[in-house]
Amino acid sequence: MRPPAHSSGPIAWAAIIATTCLLLLVFQKILFLVVPFLLALILYYLLYAPMRKLLLSGMSRAAAATTAILASLLGLAICGMLLLPWISTHMFDWQASVEHYLQGGINMLNRTLTGMEDRFAVLHRAHLATTVADRLNDFTGSFAERYLAPIALGVAAWTPSLLLAPFLSFFFLKDGRDFQHFLSRAVPNAFFEKTLYLLNEVDQAARAYFLGLFNLTLLDTVTLAFGLWLMDMPAPLGLGLIAAVLAWVPYVGSILGGLLVILVAATDFPAEPLMVTWAIGLFILVRLLDDFLYMPLTIGKNLHMHPLVTVLMIFIGGAVAGILGLMLVLPVLGVVMVIGDTIGAVVSDPRLMARYRHGQSLRKAQASADL
Amino acid sequence: MIFGLFGSKTFSPRLERLRSLSLFINLTPRELKIVDSLLHERQFLKDEVIFDEGEEGQAIYIVIEGSVLICRQINSADTRIPRVRRRGDSIDGRIAELGPGTFFGDLALLGNTPRGAQARAATNCKLAVFFRADFMTLLETQALLASKISLQLARHIGLRLREANLGAHSGQHL
Repeated sequence: MRPPAHSSGPIAWAAIIATTCLLLLVFQKILFLVVPFLLALILYYLLYAPMRKLLLSGMSRAAAATTAILASLLGLAICGMLLLPWISTHMFDWQASVEHYLQGGINMLNRTLTGMEDRFAVLHRAHLATTVADRLNDFTGSFAERYLAPIALGVAAWTPSLLLAPFLSFFFLKDGRDFQHFLSRAVPNAFFEKTLYLLNEVDQAARAYFLGLFNLTLLDTVTLAFGLWLMDMPAPLGLGLIAAVLAWVPYVGSILGGLLVILVAATDFPAEPLMVTWAIGLFILVRLLDDFLYMPLTIGKNLHMHPLVTVLMIFIGGAVAGILGLMLVLPVLGVVMVIGDTIGAVVSDPRLMARYRHGQSLRKAQASADL
Repeated sequence: MIFGLFGSKTFSPRLERLRSLSLFINLTPRELKIVDSLLHERQFLKDEVIFDEGEEGQAIYIVIEGSVLICRQINSADTRIPRVRRRGDSIDGRIAELGPGTFFGDLALLGNTPRGAQARAATNCKLAVFFRADFMTLLETQALLASKISLQLARHIGLRLREANLGAHSGQHL
């Protein structure tokens, strides 16, 4: 996201960070709206190009938006119908697999801790391995009764909210340009060109970010799946996809994805510790590819922020709004930064302000001309 | 293209007015509709500044109603002070007065060039604003439409160059 030539001072930056935190807090409170809104935004940017083609071929905006949304829903419905029988037959296998891999992870942790106890007398005296194993057994034993019911209820409660996503994206597609015109009509003449530029920048940056995120997920999935397939791991595509989606949460998500694959490697190949090393190596390689190749190719170009600011804001976002904060802090900061910089550039330009005051005085004079 | 077959081939009064503008004179009704959806309409009062000399241009302006004065700065070293010296109702540095159907600020459509002169409403006027980013999108998605506009733009710039070569100052603005 390229900021305008004007550069913000410390007060402007404090305001930008405070606004970002405030927005994240508000988003956390209206999570039931934010999640479908974000999904709608991703769907909108994915469908925008096909809709524009329909529009330019002579269709009306409403008809083009309806066709694009109906075609995407039809595609989803067909995928759902094809996958449903397969999902229902494998559901019980998955349940068994989850338990199997959880147990495998506990065993690996136990082996590691026992090994450490053998080397360090302090850990041995603290009965580290036994204590951790007991606590983990307590947790996994009561996991189903403690968490499954709330998860099931949560899914049921979220379903109507998620159905809002296609509905919202239909209106984004149909009325997005009218809304942009409506917003620009409210802007005084003196600031019009700069504001138009700002709206375009925000739109371009958001489009590039969400489409970039989608492309990044595809690239990560393919690379991880290929690496896992070479290592002869089970379900490489599924594992790659889960790890790539987890990577939407900056830093923490990548580590979780890595741990997941290590868990599978440790469980399926308990006699081959080298597989765990290979899994760790693969994850480091994918992270390097992400940072130096994929990110610059997809979303990195659009968020020109200092790395220190990025890392600090991720921590602040996490502290303010949890996982949602971790995921949203960078795009929200990017948008707030462009808006803050542009407002700063407009307000601190004496010529633009003088033109604005001049325009206002002309309007007042016109309104009171024959009084 | 199939949907184009069912589209209207006649011009609504609004599209007819748009087609009368020299920049869009060769466009079909369908193309005019596309352009129409991209234009922003702005109202300016007499004497209101539309843009300043030296300002970074983002859009081209088309005069729909009223007239616009194009003026140039007179010997001012500081580029951030008002550029046009006024004496009573007359304005020094005046280059041209543009009426309905004409356009100005056209170089902004081609790149990030600073405005070459100041534009100011000579009367209360209504302008259509065509943003550069929208023109760039048209170039990528609707090459034929964009090329028709580009051709008109090139003709206009060529005419101004010829006028400048002949020593006519009326076409040298912007």
